[in-house]
Amino acid sequence: MNEQLLAKAFVELADTLVADFDLIDFLRTLTDSCVDMLGVDAAGVLLADLDGELRVKAASDEQVRLLELFQVQNDEGPCLECFHTGAPVTVEDLGTESARWPRFTAQARRSGYSAVQTLPMRLRDEVVGALNLFRVLPGPFDPAATPVAQALADVATISLLQQRSSQQTALLNEQLQTALNSRVVIEQAKGKLAERQDIGMEEAFTALRKYARSHNRRLSDLAGAFIDGTEPLTGLVV
Amino acid sequence: MLVAQQAARRGARVAVVDVCTAAVAALPIDGAGVSAMSRTSASRHPLYATDLVSERVEELQLTLGEGPCVDAFALGSAVLAPDLRADGEQRRWPGFAVEAVTAGAAAVFAFPLRIGGISPGVLDLYSEVPVELGPGQLADALVFADTATLVLLGTRIDRTAESLEDLGRYRAGVDQATGMLTVQLGVDIEEALVRLRAYAYVHGRRLVEVAADVVACRLRFTPDEDRSSADDG
Repeated sequence: MNEQLLAKAFVELADTLVADFDLIDFLRTLTDSCVDMLGVDAAGVLLADLDGELRVKAASDEQVRLLELFQVQNDEGPCLECFHTGAPVTVEDLGTESARWPRFTAQARRSGYSAVQTLPMRLRDEVVGALNLFRVLPGPFDPAATPVAQALADVATISLLQQRSSQQTALLNEQLQTALNSRVVIEQAKGKLAERQDIGMEEAFTALRKYARSHNRRLSDLAGAFIDGTEPLTGLVV
Repeated sequence: MLVAQQAARRGARVAVVDVCTAAVAALPIDGAGVSAMSRTSASRHPLYATDLVSERVEELQLTLGEGPCVDAFALGSAVLAPDLRADGEQRRWPGFAVEAVTAGAAAVFAFPLRIGGISPGVLDLYSEVPVELGPGQLADALVFADTATLVLLGTRIDRTAESLEDLGRYRAGVDQATGMLTVQLGVDIEEALVRLRAYAYVHGRRLVEVAADVVACRLRFTPDEDRSSADDG
């Protein structure tokens, strides 16, 4: 195993933790690194998105992408099994497993692959996906390579979870700021309407809400438009 | 722990108020306040203050646009002013330092609220007398800031955004008065706020008090230059 290549692969992956994170680019780097270093012919990544749906997120070539897609669509195959159990699955000769995964083995052979090793992308109890390695020739997978592949998968998992949690945090903050700003703009609109119609704040609030409801608009959107002058509130009932 | 105790005492979910109350109990300070701030919209929302002096400290930074809290948010690191009467601080924040001391805050410590690259606001601590925070106390303050961050980001936001639970008192007066001024002065909302603040500054009055007068119709603004009339009746 080329140690320099290995080190470089880890550094590249770790870099994504600090730089602007591009998921697809990241996973493509991962699959390419596997092919370069682990003595396999192709690699793919299946990831569960936030709804729990498994998707083919990356593949080292189009052929293997289609094979991964096939597994997902038919809900059958070693990679799916790995994802569901959270345990690695190694098949040295797909020819012997046609009973286990009939449709998958037929498709894999058609694609030219005879051996598969799939490793879980997991952190403690959370399995986010599977890293899948494919070989043309049947036979055992290099025992020295397996821990490396798992380590690559682990780095990828941590990056992903980190990215997701920071996306969630950003979303929460955005929602908070929006809600705070909405509150301000609604109060401003109350003041403007109260002054314009010579009514009290409560009446103004009620009138705005009614108008928003009958015109099927969000109160904060309506308030904002009223404040910046784009909403004349024609036909407003006070 | 302290924060959780405060919430339990109130019989409610942990909120910003509990973080502030706990901070006051644990540190050599007299009050604490939290403001939500946004980089993208350059907006500031005072959310909670334990007492009138803290409220004033939050308000000053909002109206003057300067102070340890503003710097802390911009820099992303704590800004400590153990003695606002000192030359350095007076030069650094000429408007804020004087006003804060007058209001009763001789020392102010501002901690940005942060998780990774996200910063929802700032936690400000003040003391009536000049004081230095020791390393242990600073560490505690940072923990309170972290807690405030999580609490703030965990705020329940209902779909209509008509109520924001957990965030404490919100002074609608300033915003309502600003809206009223857009009509009284025939100007846009930004200009209306500038005029309101200018009036408060020129007359040496608190913004919230001037706003209250406007909302109660005790004070009206007219488009006539900078003249406004106060109704003495």
